[in-house]
Amino acid sequence: MKPDADVMLGGFAGTLLMDIAPQLGGEYTLGSVGIISMSMLMMAQEVDRAAEIRYQENAQLRALFAEAARIVDDKDLAKRLDAASATKDESLRVRALDASNDALKKLLIELQALAEVSKAPWAAGLESKIWDFLLGSVEARRFVFPALG
Amino acid sequence: MEELARRFGVYLAHKMPQASNIEVADVSRIHGGASRETFRLNAAWDEGGHRVVRPLILRRDPVASLIETERDLEYNAYRAFHPTGLPVPEPLYLETDLKWLDRPFFVMEQIVGCAAGAPFTPDPYGPLAEKLGKQFWTHLGHIAAADPEKLGVSMEPVAPDESWKRELDKWEKVIDEDELCPQPVARAAIRWMRRNPPPPAQKICVVHGDYRTGNFLFNPEGEIKAILDWEMCHLGDPLEDLCWAADPLWGFDNKERPGGMLSRAESLRLWQEASGLEIDPKGLRWWEIFNSLKGLAIWISAGKEYQSGANRDPILALSSIYPTDVHNRVLAKELAALSKEARA
Repeated sequence: MKPDADVMLGGFAGTLLMDIAPQLGGEYTLGSVGIISMSMLMMAQEVDRAAEIRYQENAQLRALFAEAARIVDDKDLAKRLDAASATKDESLRVRALDASNDALKKLLIELQALAEVSKAPWAAGLESKIWDFLLGSVEARRFVFPALG
Repeated sequence: MEELARRFGVYLAHKMPQASNIEVADVSRIHGGASRETFRLNAAWDEGGHRVVRPLILRRDPVASLIETERDLEYNAYRAFHPTGLPVPEPLYLETDLKWLDRPFFVMEQIVGCAAGAPFTPDPYGPLAEKLGKQFWTHLGHIAAADPEKLGVSMEPVAPDESWKRELDKWEKVIDEDELCPQPVARAAIRWMRRNPPPPAQKICVVHGDYRTGNFLFNPEGEIKAILDWEMCHLGDPLEDLCWAADPLWGFDNKERPGGMLSRAESLRLWQEASGLEIDPKGLRWWEIFNSLKGLAIWISAGKEYQSGANRDPILALSSIYPTDVHNRVLAKELAALSKEARA
């Protein structure tokens, strides 16, 4: 599809804000148009990167789980980590990647809860790696709030 | 809007039997908190040989909202604080009978000639920032200093060493019920807060619950004329409000200039002076983390409302995008540092 989705979203937001909003009456309507425009500008940031973020996160989580499966002392969790590390993304559709991402993050929560209270030698290093992943994840998903006027 | 004006006129006639020739005009919906439908209007009537004109605000319960709140809590907070001199609108009527406007609502004075700052801008108050900031943090200190018993507020009591747990339980439940995807940062925050509880509250006070940039009205001279949106008020630890007001989200991600008004040090100093309370650093850190978590819970809930179709107000969609991003980043950075600190 051309023009690109992010270009169109950004363009539409600009039209709404600069051309359509001034013609509208009513504070609530104007406010809503502003909110919709802001949301579209953020969707424009997300649309091109959404699949890449999820694909990369899923790969990082599987690698993390493969390593964790070898060191954690909870056998049941280790088995599930090992199984999760062997999964693959069969589709690059965002909803499919989200489904994998959700399943992996659910397991990540369990792993982090275990690591942060464990005194075992592996715990500090694993906890640190989990935080590195999470810091990278929130940074990759960062939105720039559009500066206007 | 004509039908709403007509029905509200009938309601006013019921509430003011001494009035005649009641007219309701200029009804327009405004953005006034995402938990209530808010309307601005002008009411006029004859009384005692005079024509009375009164600009009013009507706050009606929506079908679904950003966060479930009790309208009588907000109304009663206005009623409690209005006589104290704290700038809040005068509350007029609270109505729970559905026959008037289909849903419960309340009516209060409209503060005219004032504006609210936009929270997501680097400099929401421009040259008025310093003047407004002094009032903003001082008013919050006065709320903390007020005695809930003397105010006569009717809110669920809580013990000084239990307020943190009650609030954390409440917002964790919101995340449990409303999350659309797993929230590893929020879950890590919850676990950290339970492992590291704050000191007991120095006192139990009325907590506004959403005291921040954008939730007060000021005039062109830089005077705060109304503190609004008491929808989430409750009894609790005064540090809860302080840390919500100072949350980086309301300062365009700048923790050192909370609310985009004064420096962090000056803001906290003014609050301490007005409240008569000391700020415990351990408590401050806990409530800062709590408030970012509370924010996440609110944005998660907003996303659920929008995604489910229960409420398609675009503010709910935007709330679940940008503020979620900010609070996830703030929490991840803080918790990663605390994790390193604990392991050192």
